[in-house]
Formats: sequence, C-alpha cells, structure tokens
Amino acid sequence: MIPILLQIIAVPLITSAFIFFARYKIAWKAGWLASIALLYTIALHFIAGIRVYQGEIIYEAYPFAPEVSMDLLYDGLSLPVGLIINLLCAALAFYSIHYVEHRIDVLYPEADERTRILYYTRFYFMFLLFPAAFFGVSLSTNLIQIFLFTELLTIPLYFIMGYFGYVERFRVALMCFLWAAFCAVCVLTGIVLTYSQIGTFEIAELSALSGNRFLTLIVSLIFLGFATKLAIFPLHVWMPWVHAEHPTCIAGLLAVYANIALYVLVRIIFLPLHADLDAFRIPIMILALITMVYGSLLTLAQTDVKRIAACSTVSQISYTVLGVAALTTWSVEGGMFLFLAHIMAKTVFFSTAGILVYITGTRNINEMGGLVARMPVTCMLWAFGCLMLSGLPPFANFSAKWIMFTGIFMYGAYGPSIVLVVAIMGIFAIILTFSYTFWSLKRIFFGPLNPKLANNDKIKDPPLTMSVPLLLIAVVSFLIGVYPKIIMDLFHSVIGGVI
Amino acid sequence: MIAAEVAWLCVLSPFAGALLSPVLARIHPKLRDYGAVFLSFLAALCSVMLIPYLFHPEKLPIESAFVWLSFPIELKAGVLIDPLSIVMANVVAVISFIIMVYSLGYMKGDPSLTRWWMWMNLFIGSMLLLVLSNNLLFLFIGWKMVGLCSWGLIGFYKNDEKKYWIGGPAPTKYTTPSHCGLKAMVVTSAGDVVMLGGMLLMYAYSGTLNILELYETSSIWLPEMAKSSGMILLMSILLLAGPIGKSAQFPLHEWLPEAMAGPGPVSALIHAATMVKSGVYLVARLVPIFFYGYWVAGCSEASYFFILIAWIGAITAFLAATQGMVALELKKALAYSTVSQIGYMMLALGVTGLTAHSLMGGFTSGMFHLVNHALFKACLFLCAGSVIHTAHSIYMNDMGSIRKYMPFTWIFMVIAALSLMGVPPFPGFWSKDAILLSCLEAHNYPLFLFALITVVLTAFYTLRFIGMTFYGKESKNVENLKRKGVHLGEARLTMVVACGVLAITIIVLGIFGLPLEHLLHEGFGYTLVEKLHLPVEHATEMPHLLVPLLSVISVVIGIVPAYLLYFSGKLDPAGMLEKHASLKMLHKFFWNRWYIDRFYYMFFVGGMTELFTRVPKYIENPLDKLYHEKVPAGLIALSSRVPRFIENPLDRFYHMKDGLGRVARISIPSGMIAIFSRVPKYVENPLDRFYHMKDSMGRVARISIPSGMIAIFSRVPKYIENPLDRFYHMKDSLGRVARISIPAIPGAIYSGTKRIRIETGYLGYNLIYVLIFYIGFIILILLIFLGVIT
Repeated sequence: MIPILLQIIAVPLITSAFIFFARYKIAWKAGWLASIALLYTIALHFIAGIRVYQGEIIYEAYPFAPEVSMDLLYDGLSLPVGLIINLLCAALAFYSIHYVEHRIDVLYPEADERTRILYYTRFYFMFLLFPAAFFGVSLSTNLIQIFLFTELLTIPLYFIMGYFGYVERFRVALMCFLWAAFCAVCVLTGIVLTYSQIGTFEIAELSALSGNRFLTLIVSLIFLGFATKLAIFPLHVWMPWVHAEHPTCIAGLLAVYANIALYVLVRIIFLPLHADLDAFRIPIMILALITMVYGSLLTLAQTDVKRIAACSTVSQISYTVLGVAALTTWSVEGGMFLFLAHIMAKTVFFSTAGILVYITGTRNINEMGGLVARMPVTCMLWAFGCLMLSGLPPFANFSAKWIMFTGIFMYGAYGPSIVLVVAIMGIFAIILTFSYTFWSLKRIFFGPLNPKLANNDKIKDPPLTMSVPLLLIAVVSFLIGVYPKIIMDLFHSVIGGVI
Repeated sequence: MIAAEVAWLCVLSPFAGALLSPVLARIHPKLRDYGAVFLSFLAALCSVMLIPYLFHPEKLPIESAFVWLSFPIELKAGVLIDPLSIVMANVVAVISFIIMVYSLGYMKGDPSLTRWWMWMNLFIGSMLLLVLSNNLLFLFIGWKMVGLCSWGLIGFYKNDEKKYWIGGPAPTKYTTPSHCGLKAMVVTSAGDVVMLGGMLLMYAYSGTLNILELYETSSIWLPEMAKSSGMILLMSILLLAGPIGKSAQFPLHEWLPEAMAGPGPVSALIHAATMVKSGVYLVARLVPIFFYGYWVAGCSEASYFFILIAWIGAITAFLAATQGMVALELKKALAYSTVSQIGYMMLALGVTGLTAHSLMGGFTSGMFHLVNHALFKACLFLCAGSVIHTAHSIYMNDMGSIRKYMPFTWIFMVIAALSLMGVPPFPGFWSKDAILLSCLEAHNYPLFLFALITVVLTAFYTLRFIGMTFYGKESKNVENLKRKGVHLGEARLTMVVACGVLAITIIVLGIFGLPLEHLLHEGFGYTLVEKLHLPVEHATEMPHLLVPLLSVISVVIGIVPAYLLYFSGKLDPAGMLEKHASLKMLHKFFWNRWYIDRFYYMFFVGGMTELFTRVPKYIENPLDKLYHEKVPAGLIALSSRVPRFIENPLDRFYHMKDGLGRVARISIPSGMIAIFSRVPKYVENPLDRFYHMKDSMGRVARISIPSGMIAIFSRVPKYIENPLDRFYHMKDSLGRVARISIPAIPGAIYSGTKRIRIETGYLGYNLIYVLIFYIGFIILILLIFLGVIT
C-alpha cells in the first residue's frame, strides 16, 4: 500500500507522464483520464481528511538529501486547502474537455488530426502538473520543498499560456514567467538567509528565528516576493494581463496560483513568527486596503469580460491579505477561509467568462447584453459568481468575510485607531464589489438581446461538461457557507493553537 | 417547546418552497404554482400559531438554537420568539401568503413563473429568518438575502421591454427594470455593509451576537465601550446605516421609488409591507441596548442613536410626502408614501430614548404603525397593481374614473387609503395618533410639528391618487382602450379576493385598534420592563383629545384642497400650476425629488465613473508601461550599452581591435608589442654588448665583459708578470730593473756584511761568543743525557 499523501502528489504526476508517453493511444480521452485521476485524489483527500478531522496529524517522511527532506504533512490547515483545490482542479479538468478542443480549433485551424491530438494531450499532461504542485505546496514541511513546488507551478503556466492562450499569449507568458522569477529570487534569498541564521529549512523550527536581527529583512524579502504573486499594489500589473490572456479553463487555477501564496505566507511567516510581526501588520493592511479599492476601481473600468474577472482577483485577494495581516485568530482563520471561498468563486466567475467567450466569440462586454434569454444557465452561473464574490450569503465568501472582519474589528477596537479606520474602509470597499459584479451581470445578461447576437443560432448554453462542474463548485461553496463549522474547526486546530 | 418547532417550520417551509418549485415545475405547472402558495401558507399558519403567546408574554422569550459555529466564534443559530418577532413574523408571513394568492392571478401566463415562485418563496423564507433569528448574524444573513430577492424581483422583467420601464413621461428620464434592480442593490448594500461593521464592532466589545445575551450583558460591555470616546457614537452610526438603507430613509431613500419597476405583488410585498420594514425591526431590536446605555448606564453617546433616528425619520416622512404630492405614476406615489410612513415608524422608535418615559409609547406606536402600514400599503399596492393591469398604464393621468369598471378594487383601495390618511376609526388613525402622542410626550415639539405637517401632506397625496385614479374624467388612454375593445373590468378573481381580505382585515383592525394597541403595549412592556428591567417612568398626562383633534384637523386641511382639485373638478391642477410661478417652482422641486437623486447620480455614479475611468489612464496604464515597457526598455538600453561601453572596449583592450574594427589606443596586444619591441633595445642589445662588447647592430658597449677581461688581462704583465720577472730576474722583458730582486740579494748580503763590519767592527767577536754559547749548550745537553747532571 503506497502511503496516502505520497499518492496524492504522485497520482497526478504519474497520470501526466502516462498521458505524455501514450499520447496517441489516449488521444481525446486524455481529458477524461485526467479528470478521473483527480476524482481519485479527491477520494484520497477524503480518506485522509476523515483521519485528520478525528484529530490525527498524518506525517510521512521521505529523506531526500542532507538538510532537505521531502516530508509530507497533512493537518487541519492543509486538508481544506488541498481538498478545495483538488475539487477545483477536477472541475476544471472536466470543463477543459470541450474548451481545449475548441481552443485548438481556433488557434490551429490547419492542423491535422494527429497534431490536434498532440496539442490536446499536451494540455492535459501539463495541466496535471498544477494539482501535483498545489498539493505539494499544501503538504510541504520545509522551505525548500515549498519553494520547489511553487516554482514548479510556473512551468505548466508558461507552456499552457504559450500554446493555448489568447492574442498576446507569447509576450504575456514570458511576462508571467519573469514576474514569477522575481518572486522566486526574493523568496529564495529569504530562505537562504533564514538557513544561515538558524541552520534549518524545517517550517516547524522557524520560530527559532524569533528575535533574530535579520528577521525584518527575511520577512520583508519573502513578503515582497509573494506580494507579486498576491498582486499587491503596485506589484499587481501582471495579473490582469496574465488572467486575461490565459485560456479560461485554467484561469480558475491562476487565481489559486496567486492566492496560494497566502497559504504559504501563513505557513512560513504568519504562524511561526506571529509574535514578531507587529511592525508589519498595519503597513500590510494598508497596502491590502489600497489594493482592494484600486482593484475594484480597475474592474469597474473594464469592458473585457475576462479582464473583469482578472481585475476583480486583484481586489479580492487583498481581502484575504487584509485578514491575515491583522493577525488575530478570527482574521487569520477567516482570511484562510476567504482564500478558499475566493478561489471557488473565482473559478465559477472566471470559467463563466470563458463560457461567454466560447459561445459568443467576443470578449467585449458592449457586444453582449440580454444574453439571459438564450443562456439562462450561464446567467445563473455568472450570478452565482457575483453573489460569491460580493460575499452575499449563503455562499462561503460571506461566512469567511464575516469571520475575517470580526477579527479585524477586534484588532481595531482594542488596537491603534488606524486599524479601525482601515477596517471600516475595508468593509466599505465591499460596495465597490457589489457595483462591479452586479453591473457586469446587468450589462452582459439583462436588457434586450444585442442585435448582433440575435441571429446567431450558436448562442445557447454550453455543453454540460462545462456548466455542471461549475454548478457543483457553487453548491460546495453554498454548503460550506451554510455550515462552515467543519472547515473552521479544522483551521482552528492549527491556527487557534498558535495565535 | 412546540413554539420553537413551529417557528423553525415557519422559517424553513418557504425555503423548501423555493427549492421545490423547479422540481414541481417538471411535474406540472399547476402543481408548482399551488405548491409554492401552499408552502407560504404553511409559513403563515405557523406564524399565526404563535399569536397566542402574545397573550401570555410571561412564557416568552423562547429560544431554540443549535451550535452553528464553535471556533473561532461560538455561535448558536436558532429562532427567538418574543413579542416583537411574533408581530413581525405574522406581518411577514400572513401578508406574504395573501400576496402569493394575488400573484396566482397577477402573474398568470408569465413564462418565468418558476423563477417567480422561487424568488418569492426565497424572499419569504429570508424575511422570516430575519425576524425570527436569535442572533444578529443570521438576522444579517436574512437581511442580505431579502436584499438579493429584492434585486431579483425588481429586475424580474429582465429583458427590459419598454412596457416595463418606469419614470417618465419624457422629458423625465425612463429607467429600465434591470437598472432599478442594480440601483436598489447598490444603495441598500452600501447601508448593509456599513451595518455589518457596526455589528462587528458591537461583537468586539460584547463577545456575543445573540440578541438576548446582548441585552443581558449590556451592563458589562456598554460601559466598557464607553471608555473609548466616540466608540458608541461610531457604532450607532454604523448600525443605523443598514436600517436607513433597507428602509429607504433619508439619505439612502432614493432606491425605493425605482424599485417600483418590479411586478405589482413585489412592490406590495417587498417594497411596502415587509422588507422595507426590516430596518424598523432592527432599530426596535437595538432600542433596548441603547436605552439601557443612555438611561441606566449613563453613556451619554448612546443618546445620539435616538436623536439620529428620530430626526432621520421625521425628515424622511416630510421629504417623501412632498414628493408623493406630485408623483404621476401610481405606484411611485405609493412608494413615496411608503418612505414617508416608514419615516413615522423610525420617528416613533427614535422618540423612545429621548426621555426616560417615552420608551413604551414610542416602541408600541412604532410597531403598531408598522403592522397597520403593512396591511394598508399592501392592499393599496395590490389594488394599484390591478388598476395598472386594467388601465395598461402606470400613469395616473392615463386612468380616471376607473371606479365604474373596478368597483371592488375601488372600495378596497379607498378603505386602505382612509387608513393611510389616518381617518378614524381606521387603524392608521390609531397608530399615527399614538406616534404623534409619543412625540408630544417626549416634549420634542419640532419633531411633533414635522409629524403633524406630514399628516396634512399625507391626506393630500392620498386623496390625490384616489381622485386621479378613480374619479374625475376618463382619460384619453381609457377611451382608447374602450375603443379598441379591451376588457375594462375587475382583474382576476384571486387578485380581487386578496385585496378584499386585506381590506376586511384593515376594517377589523380599525375596530379593534385600541385593544390591539393595548395588547402590543402589554407584550412589549413585559419584555422591556419585566425581563430587561429597563426603567419606565410614567409620562405626564396629555389632554386626552388634543392629539386626535389636531390629527383630524390636519387630515381635513389636507383633504380640502385635494378634493377641490381632483374630485370636484372645480380647480384645474395644471391651470393652477401655470398661474402661480412659486407653485410651479415648488412642483418642479418636488418632481425632481429635491434634486437629491440627480445629485447622487452626478456625485456618486458620475464621480465614480470619472474615478474609475481615470484609474486605468493615470495609474494602471502608466504602471503597466513602467513594468512592461520602461523597465524592459531600460534593460535593453542598458544591455545595448554593454557592447558599446564595456564589451567593445574590453574587446579592443584584449585584442587591439573590436568586432567593428575599431582600434584601441591602449590594449593588451599593443602593450605587449610595445613591450616586446623594447626588449632588443633595452635588454637584448645592452646584454649583447655587455657580453660581447658589440651588439648585432655594431654598437659598442662602454662596459662589457670582454673589455673588462681585456682590461684585466692587459694589467697582468704590468702589475704581476713584470714585477715578478724583475723580482726573480732583476730585469723584466722590457728591460726595467727591480729594486728588490732575488739576484740582487747575495751582492746585497756581501756588501751588507762589509758595510756591517765597516759600520760596526764587532761582528767577529760577537760570532765567537755565539759559538761558545752554542758549544756550551751542546755539552750541557750531553751531560744531562749521560746522567751526570740529574
């Protein structure tokens, strides 16, 4: 019996390799194969999750090199993160089945069947690196491991973008890669500096860094690195580009790619060193607030349906950062919860934008309008996305935002009054979210059907493999939102014990 | 505990209805329709079953909850049954059910009926969740969800067909339903999120969201909160933003008139009877906390809560009433009226804390008015829906003399209108009277005056819309419809019945108005005074008939001009406006809603648009340029300088010439050449000369090994050979003679002896002495040797 955590990481990798080597045999079944592999890892997550929920912590040790081991840890924090990301990956694998085929038809119209199969399998063999890397990040126990897995993410991102992206895909793929490299350099410097001070890469021993004279430098470096991933103003500029030009089937994963940096920050900075971070709390909160407002304004200005989703990510991720930076039990747990809720919301929202592009063939919102008459299910999905992003009950985002803001207000009520100002302004910024989500809903779906689309018979709801996975994600978000106790109990078992 | 289960069922059954509608629709459309109505009926039934508890307030409050969240916040979600929630639940559930019945007729044949029933039941469920929740969080969840339903139902006609536009007539702008929905969503959300801030601030100090616990522990956390100055005031403002937005109070009242874009039943249910009352309900929930804070705990800031809400209520009541006087759309006139009436309720609740003795009066009158208003305004809206349905127009000047065709609707609407005006003995009279009385008892005369003037305005606009709709001459529109053969008559049976039921309820409530008020007084009194121990002083008695008299006089003052203008036809309203410039200006001012709406559009929508269009232009694009053009360009520029300033010079330095053929002045090869070329001159040749006396070029060294050797050799004969030669041979080969030499020694000795003999003469003697001594010495040695001498 292969240890369960190793399986979680290995299954996507092996499937990926299998798709690569047997690509002409598998051909168009690659999508289903990848999806099934991810369903299997969901089952693994559930099996391991039940053990964790009963209070166990699963630890598997794999010595790799002196000083660096590839140990895997599954606790109350990594379980929900891994599981939700797995759900999203699985849903998007199904969603991609039709989408990628369509994308290949659009991009490589002259290709013969064999070439098309080549492209199709190429997508899936790289797609599966995402879940593997995400699970790797969520299960890591040391800094090098986390660094390697976050870097692994950039590789499929680069190639999928280059092969299947939109208009400016080559430029933007390179851009994304370079930003990731910048992040990597900063983070790696921080990690090496940490090692020079405490002589270990283990996350569990990071608290030894407390009171070190290089602490500020290390935290600043690592935060600066991940701030680019989290798209904190003014380091957010890559995000709208990358999200807009990517094939929409992985856009949901891009939100995870960006937002998982928060999980890493919580794991390696905010939890072990929380007592030493007083000086960082307020500046990060203010940065997050600026990004929240700025991102919302940016979203309001967009007319490109993919860019709306992209810019809203800038704004939404900062909510999670705001919560985590406040560093109270409520706000960190709420922030982590919001991270999960946000990636679910963004997957639904973004992928629905993808459906719109897929069906209408245009990205310009002004060329849409009144689509609800022809695409009711898509309208519902987009509306769900809006509700989730705006933090309306009963979706998970509401529960998360509420818990998170409780923490921020707790800090504000007893801490410096500027925090209270930030808290109130932060909660005020939600109005902007309402504005851009519901405004976009109105512009795309309501009103009279745009005459340009009226005669187009292709305007109808997408195939079920595209809509059903998204609906299921919305249902999961709904269920977690209605009963958040399970997730919060899990988070609390890790975070509550520290802060 | 049966009450708790009933309450749970009351909340859950409409949600079940919402979920079941699409399933039932698959089976049969009729099943879907009646199923939806049945589940709302179930909710109504459950809420009615709670009414007996009002007569036994000592059994209340009843709470039933389960653990919803334990970390990081412990929260038990559940239902709370107390007089306030029972009253609200009944208002919501019963009126909802009646309106559901009405919509069976009103919405018949609509293609989106499944969606309709889902939204309606979702709304009813959320609203019941709001009023029955035992904690502020679930109250807020219900609060947001009713807002969502409101959005969904205002924009129900999602395709924005022209017939569903409201506003106008031109030149006044029209508004599409989806725009109206968006407006409602954004404006109310603005209030909501701020209110959430208030709730969280409250939680930060109190540590609980449970309503009863908040009351019970207010003696602990309120004084704690009062320690930081401004905190209670901040909390009051934040908390009030929600009710102000949701209940369409000034300054967030502008969304409600536009909310009339929804179908008739929606306006009746959400934007008149129930949802817009949730603000009032929440304020009523908060009153005990702030009352305790101000009158018991002595936190002076808590009084702002009451002052704010009282004044907001009074101003809104007046402001909306003035707009109601000029409205041309029937439903908008009713909407302004709703805003104005809710203003009354807010005023009443605000008055509760202004003096120590007005708690009970204000609270009861406010809630009583809420109940009455829900009934008569629902009835008015339903009747208005029927009238609009029949007249095919939203404008009152397209109606006129409709009573001939719709006698029942006419009667029902008049009954409700009389209640709205406050004509005794209709219920509106009793509750309005109570509100006026509590203002007076609080000795706040400006508020009282505002309220009284609004009574005049209310009477005027109510009679105006009744007159314009049912009386006067038939409009051209009605004549056109007749000519086209359109059926002008009562609407469908379910619609008439629903209106009738409401009208009858109004009459019954009117007859039993005073006992009902007493019942509410008892119920609320028990909760507030007995359970929460809030201090209640008895007010100074007012003259019994003063307030009713003033109120009736005000109504009459309002009725007279309205009657003359819109009933008798003696005065022509349009002509009056033309004649009096001041009236015209006033009309324009009211018609444009005091220009507040326009200001909001200009300031918020316009301002925001300006802002967000500038963001890409001034920040995002420049930043984008910076990162993705300037920085790369800088790098490229830098890298292009690398060949020029570093690589090529280095190339030249190492190789003398770079790839471009340019030659370096200083370079390693030329340096080497320079060095090599100097080697013969400075090292090789001198060395050559030094060793060989001459180099290859024939140059002669001054100092060199050969010349040195020659110099040394040439000195050998002179300094060594010749002297030796002379020393040994007396003369050398050159003939020079040595002074001292071996050959010269014998001659010298001889000549020397001679000279010694000549010079000394004693040498011979001395020689003899020496010989003697020598012989003697030998003899001595011989003797010693022979042993002679030992």
